[in-house]
Amino acid sequence: MSAPKMLTSGQYLGSTGRLEAAVGTFEFTDDHEALRSTVRAFVEETFSEAQVRRLMAAPSALERPVWERMARELGLQGLVVPEEYGGAGAGPVELAIVLEEFGRRLVPVPLLSTALATVALAGGDPAVTAGRLEAVAEGRVVATVALAEDDGGWDAAGVHCAAVGGDRDGDGWRLTGTKSFVPDGLDADLLVVAARTDAGVGLFAVDSAADGLSRSALEVFDLTRRLARVRLDGVAATPLAAPADEAAFDRFLDAARIAVAAEQAGGADFALAMAVGYAKERVQFGRAIGSFQAIKHLCADAFVDVESARSAAYYGAWALAQDSPEVATVAPLAKAFCSEAFFATAQTNMQVHGGISFTYEHPAHLYYRRARSGAQLWGSPRTHRDLLATRIGL
Amino acid sequence: MTATTGADASAQASAEQVRAQVAAWLAENWQPGGGGPRWRERLVDSGWAAPTWPVEWFGRGLHRDLRRVVAEEFTRVGAKPAALDVTQLFANTILAHGTDEQKKSFVRPLALGEHQGCLLYSEPGAGSDLAALQTRADRDGDTWVVNGQKVWTSGAREATHGFLVARTDWDVPKHRGLTFFWLPLDQPGVDIRPIHQVTGGSEFNEVFLTDAVVADSHRLGAVDDGWRVLQTALGFERLIMGAAAGGSSRQRRRADGGETTLADRQSPWTRQIGGADYVELAKKVGKADDPVTRQEIARLYTLEKVNAWNSLRARADAGRGAASPLASIGKLAMSRIVHTGVSVTTNLLGAASVLDGDTDPVAAEVNRSSFAAFVTSIGGGTDQIQRNIIGERVLGLPREPEVDKFVPFREVRKAQATRRFS
Repeated sequence: MSAPKMLTSGQYLGSTGRLEAAVGTFEFTDDHEALRSTVRAFVEETFSEAQVRRLMAAPSALERPVWERMARELGLQGLVVPEEYGGAGAGPVELAIVLEEFGRRLVPVPLLSTALATVALAGGDPAVTAGRLEAVAEGRVVATVALAEDDGGWDAAGVHCAAVGGDRDGDGWRLTGTKSFVPDGLDADLLVVAARTDAGVGLFAVDSAADGLSRSALEVFDLTRRLARVRLDGVAATPLAAPADEAAFDRFLDAARIAVAAEQAGGADFALAMAVGYAKERVQFGRAIGSFQAIKHLCADAFVDVESARSAAYYGAWALAQDSPEVATVAPLAKAFCSEAFFATAQTNMQVHGGISFTYEHPAHLYYRRARSGAQLWGSPRTHRDLLATRIGL
Repeated sequence: MTATTGADASAQASAEQVRAQVAAWLAENWQPGGGGPRWRERLVDSGWAAPTWPVEWFGRGLHRDLRRVVAEEFTRVGAKPAALDVTQLFANTILAHGTDEQKKSFVRPLALGEHQGCLLYSEPGAGSDLAALQTRADRDGDTWVVNGQKVWTSGAREATHGFLVARTDWDVPKHRGLTFFWLPLDQPGVDIRPIHQVTGGSEFNEVFLTDAVVADSHRLGAVDDGWRVLQTALGFERLIMGAAAGGSSRQRRRADGGETTLADRQSPWTRQIGGADYVELAKKVGKADDPVTRQEIARLYTLEKVNAWNSLRARADAGRGAASPLASIGKLAMSRIVHTGVSVTTNLLGAASVLDGDTDPVAAEVNRSSFAAFVTSIGGGTDQIQRNIIGERVLGLPREPEVDKFVPFREVRKAQATRRFS
């Protein structure tokens, strides 16, 4: 496969345009469509269901040669890395497209994890992040974010891991605590860890090989997304920005919510396609079951959910690209909505498939697993709706 | 964006020519503040009121992509673009199916607003299944005698004519025995009665046709080919809806005086209880901290927002000339929004929601809205029919087998006309 023309930020993202100008038309450019079809072709070629199942059963879903190819030929890890650090300098809209495509096929490689870490790094101090971003873009480093702890809180209030001993220049920081639900935590070389300082919660870069860091795999329901628990005992860490900036942490969370929502929209879209495809071919009572309104209406409702989920994720990505104040409401909205839309569609998919969906060999349960777990990761729909309520003035 | 093709280039060139032509005509004919004497006539006869209509029929023969250019020039000088080729569904349908004689007689009065149309489609026994209608038209020489009842006709009291679909052959399957007419309403056989609606209003009418007469020269399309003409007319109605969905609220008003558009029907609700007012109401009744209330309001806010974003995407698709599957989901989404909205406000009001009238104007408004929500979930095709449309036309699922499809209509089990008590 020849390398696609990677796109620079200037090609898509006018930093001067007002939000309305950008989202008023809500259009993807031909470059966006080209990116989507390139990624879709790569995913379909590389991550067939058989491949996904093979990686599910393997000790690690990460195969370095494939990971390096993703970086070298497609530039996926460097998509949102600034150009001066070897990336494509693209933005949230392009990231949403890629994650949506990976979400459609439940690709188990740590792209979402790495992308979230990249978004965090890109918001930090270049003196700290430049080399790390370069390593990510080149495919040398797998990264992830460690936000929640054992009690499963995903915002600043849930961060108890202590960052101590450092100075305002970023030197001498040590982290102590336990992080949990860390996506791809066992495969990651670089962890972006949320920790509490006297000045509030901040993000720290931690080398997974650092002294005092130990990690263990969690036994999880979603077979295509691995999670780890990470113990930090006085581990050396570098703040992405010093001093800790809790407002920046909140902005990072919003960006993460929108990225995850895009991946969920992709999963929902594929689950619907599976349901509709089966409803057309499965015959009972002498006719395709999709001709029964009981089935047809389930699919129609799922279609409304899926398209609405895509709209929410896309709008969120556009708002991020424009650095709009709307991000504060769109982000929790998108995460809550896409979570529930994906879960409802995964349920519909199982229901439409009937008995066959109850077999391990059929892929319907894989989407159900991803949807059900993904709804809780990075904050539940209820938590996010409550945050939305606060942010619209309640 | 797409690369510029030869076709684009020629459209681009003529766009500038058209812009100059419109500007020149406006410079000569438009007087700021009102257009001057006989403005409407001059506008219609110039062809700029309907740029895509043929030159011989009050148009300019332009491609539809150039509508925007014409509208921009009108707006620039402060004149309202008529855009009759979008909004005048009656004239559009007559131009599509009428004879030259009919175009000559019917189009200009419609364009001038001298004639107003209404839609005589639905019947008490033919709602979702419109092809099962039982109003009959029997031929008597050069005229047809019409008997039956139509219902849910908005604008009937203001209209001079109606698009009538009537059964002319009872011995063929239901779709194949219908004929389409342009029925004059000012005659003894036409009795228009306002419907007393549950909301208290009377926007809709029922129209009783008792030996009403329509000349054969008012028949659109061939005898028994009315279903095809109807599809054209419904297509023009959707065009108006599409334009309304993409336009500002001011542009949503339909120029034909017919049924209000979906957007119109929704606007009263949205205006009264939409957006941030839920937040204010929750605070006022002391439920701002109630977790269930917070979830409900955030969920409603979410439904409203995603629907708006779906519309933006549909508009973007339309802008590229692509049929958007998103256009089909707006009605279903809006139905959920309005019913959910009423549920939220009812829960906020609590016991007060049992009150009505001047005793509690807020409750009265919520009560009215609770009924108005059914306009969205029933009117213009029920939610259930809408789900069929999405399932069949968008997702490509097979149709439900139809027991009456190949049976002469005379033998088909029919709905009894539902009698109301009045």
